[in-house]
Amino acid sequence: MTLESGAPEGLTTSDLHKAFGDHAVLRGVDLTVPDGAFAAVLGASGSGKTTLLRILAGFERPDRGVVAVGGVVLDDDHHHVRAERRRIGYVPQEGSLFPHLTVEGNVGFGLRAREGREAEVAELLERVGLAGLGRRYPHQLSGGQQQRVALARALAVRPHIVLLDEPFASLDAGLRATVRADVRAAVRRSGATAILVTHDQDEALSIADPVAVIRDGVVAQAASPRDLYESPVDPDLAGFVGEANLIEGTSYGSTAETALGWLQLRDDHRPARQRITVLIRPEQLRVAPFAEGGPGVAARVVEAGFHGHDALVHLVTEDAAAAPMVARVVGGIWLEAGARVTLKVVGPVHCWPRPPAGDAHPGLPAAVPEAGPG
Amino acid sequence: MIATGVAAEPPAVADPVVPARRRLPPLFLLGASGAVALVLLAPLLFLLIEASGSGAGTIAHLIWRPLTATLLWNTVRLTVVVTALCAVIGTLTAWLVECTDLPGRRLWAVLLVIPFAIPDFVVSFGWASISTWVHGFQGAVLVMTLAVYPLVYLPVAASLRGADPGLEEAARSLGLGRFRVFLRVTVGQARGAILGGCVLVALVILAEYGAFEILGYQTFTTEIFTEFQVSFNVSTACALSLVLVVLGALILGAEPVARGKGRVVRTGAQAQRTSRRHRLGRCTLPVHAALAVLVALALGVPVGASVYWMFVGGIPFLTGVSVLDAGWHTALYSGVAAALATLLALPVALLAVRHSGRGGRLLERSTYLVLAMPGLVIALAISYFAERYAGGFGYQSAALLTAAYAILFFPLALVGVRASVTRAPVALEEAARSLGRRPDEVFLRVTLPLIGPGLAAAFCLVFLACATELTATLVLVPTGVQTLATQFWAYQQNLSYAQAAPFALVIIAIAAVPSYVLARYFDRLPSRAGTAS
Repeated sequence: MTLESGAPEGLTTSDLHKAFGDHAVLRGVDLTVPDGAFAAVLGASGSGKTTLLRILAGFERPDRGVVAVGGVVLDDDHHHVRAERRRIGYVPQEGSLFPHLTVEGNVGFGLRAREGREAEVAELLERVGLAGLGRRYPHQLSGGQQQRVALARALAVRPHIVLLDEPFASLDAGLRATVRADVRAAVRRSGATAILVTHDQDEALSIADPVAVIRDGVVAQAASPRDLYESPVDPDLAGFVGEANLIEGTSYGSTAETALGWLQLRDDHRPARQRITVLIRPEQLRVAPFAEGGPGVAARVVEAGFHGHDALVHLVTEDAAAAPMVARVVGGIWLEAGARVTLKVVGPVHCWPRPPAGDAHPGLPAAVPEAGPG
Repeated sequence: MIATGVAAEPPAVADPVVPARRRLPPLFLLGASGAVALVLLAPLLFLLIEASGSGAGTIAHLIWRPLTATLLWNTVRLTVVVTALCAVIGTLTAWLVECTDLPGRRLWAVLLVIPFAIPDFVVSFGWASISTWVHGFQGAVLVMTLAVYPLVYLPVAASLRGADPGLEEAARSLGLGRFRVFLRVTVGQARGAILGGCVLVALVILAEYGAFEILGYQTFTTEIFTEFQVSFNVSTACALSLVLVVLGALILGAEPVARGKGRVVRTGAQAQRTSRRHRLGRCTLPVHAALAVLVALALGVPVGASVYWMFVGGIPFLTGVSVLDAGWHTALYSGVAAALATLLALPVALLAVRHSGRGGRLLERSTYLVLAMPGLVIALAISYFAERYAGGFGYQSAALLTAAYAILFFPLALVGVRASVTRAPVALEEAARSLGRRPDEVFLRVTLPLIGPGLAAAFCLVFLACATELTATLVLVPTGVQTLATQFWAYQQNLSYAQAAPFALVIIAIAAVPSYVLARYFDRLPSRAGTAS
């Protein structure tokens, strides 16, 4: 059955609920992934992201809610399209290759016996960089190779959507970057929509768009990586997707007064005067050698963590008006602990209004409805 | 020595592949498993009904006799000694074959398993017919140890093959010497398999009848058989059976306690890293000699004695016909029973492995209660029931005999089927379905190829056990029909060794083929890599 014309293409879920026994895992997931996108579902372990993926794949049935692809309903109260009819590919966490079949047998598993099947398998293997390994058995492959085979196997049946369940988690860091890039390229070339499940925010932000953050069984925010990083819906989420400096202040229209001076606000439709929490990413803090009377706020280095390409510098302002802060400094090896510096904020900052009293940093997105994704 | 190894902390790892989901198992699976459990527990129920028919006073009176104490002492001391010997022999031989560079280990793997195929009563016959020393307690210890140590060897070998080589390496890096690594890690990892094997050994000894009858060693089973078949004293047979079942239940109950909470789990049929074998070096020759002695005693003596008696009596052409006839019946009953047991085990194994809920576990456990029921007791309970309540229908019919076999050897089938179901994780089936394959295609192309060899192995195990079964067969065999075992028994009891010998040899041959297949199957599982360089 199809929805009325004009329904969004791609994948949509609305109000998905799933509980295992008394434990509610999904509590109303609304998600939209445009056709052809490489999306990510980002969440801590136990947030329900794997359950969401298994529902999309058709391995679990939601207790309530709708799953639709290209306007076709796959799951609702009355329908459940079985996994094998969905044309949704699935790349499991450990690859789950069939141990009794060769690489060719695995990749060709979903293909019907017909003319040109062998050539198709060979082409797929080449696409994932495994040309010539078709006769091997899964146990003769490395972890990265197994993941590539699992991907080729899923792409072989030309699925509308490919689900990737933390496929890079078991790979070592050096390998991960290349496998990740290759996987993304292969999926792009196949034209399929991809949904990657991961707990690694770097991974999600670097290869996916949009990224949906799932928290306590609901989508806390779904946005482009940039919006997610720059304008998260609440302080809790800000900390989840990256390093975050949170300082208090008061907004006056498009500017705010804080311990780091007057700052430009990213969203300039604030009411005239309001108590706010400001988000400053480490890259927005410029650290300069201390100069008497210069611009910026005086601060002292507590600790500098060297990372090669950059350094994360922990600082406290000298008047101790704000909490300790972290700045990202490129080539900042000259900063020793105890060094005096000046701090300056570059570019507009994101903010949330603070509730009148009590909890300074509400964890619930409902408290700041106006700061939703753009 | 083994005990200290067992006491070491369990190398427990969680299963990383399939998260334990609280999913409700499909109803038909629950229903089928429940029905299987009911069938399996029926003999126990019959026994209890029978006992209550005699009245508690009578039963108690029959149990509190000096005879019971004698039987208990005889049974328990034999069980303890043989189980300990089997644990040591089975574990050591398994380690030698699986973890060292022993030359010719494939051949040894086969030779070490074959004694399992030779029925205990044939081993007993072989020894007793050539030596007067093999008699009573020492005879029973010798014969039973040689006949049943493969029950420890097989599971331990399988467990060592699947063991994580990383653990041994980790232990070496923590400063443990080779010997302590063997005791604390190698034996520790195989702990569950050793314990499981020991429990099986103990249960086999409780249930054995033929071997003890030949050796003149009095245990519960020999006494029960005499009371039932010779004196037709059902109440006494029933009372003694109850004691025997309680003994079996005690052994079964001790196993999970001894096993503790540690679990050894690997990711299953995934790609596995293999480790290097230990070098035997100068020990190679003595090890070969020791294994040769073991195989000569366990395999050579029974086979040799049978061959000897056959030639002494001249080749009896006249028995040829009856051997064929008896062989046909043995193969028929065993084949049907093995298929039935494997089929019955499938739903229970699926439920236990895939839906590890409380209900599934309870059902699986309840089926293991059958282990506490010796074949004799099951046969008595079934024949009693057929006579009393089914109006004699089916008593001493082929159907009843195969049903008794299937119940008796169900646990054996379950072990094999369960292991094979574990080799086909749900994740693989899900992957197959997401590739557009229908459930029936998934079953044929993924599940069956993965579990098929295990199912065949389970079938062979049960077939072997049925073909070499004597006690229940003696009670339930259809009138006028002889199987190999019953015909052998008839001749043996008349001391017609020459006429019994051909039957013994055919039994050995019938049982040896499946055991060869079994050994090959276990050999094909991912093995350790070549020798250390």
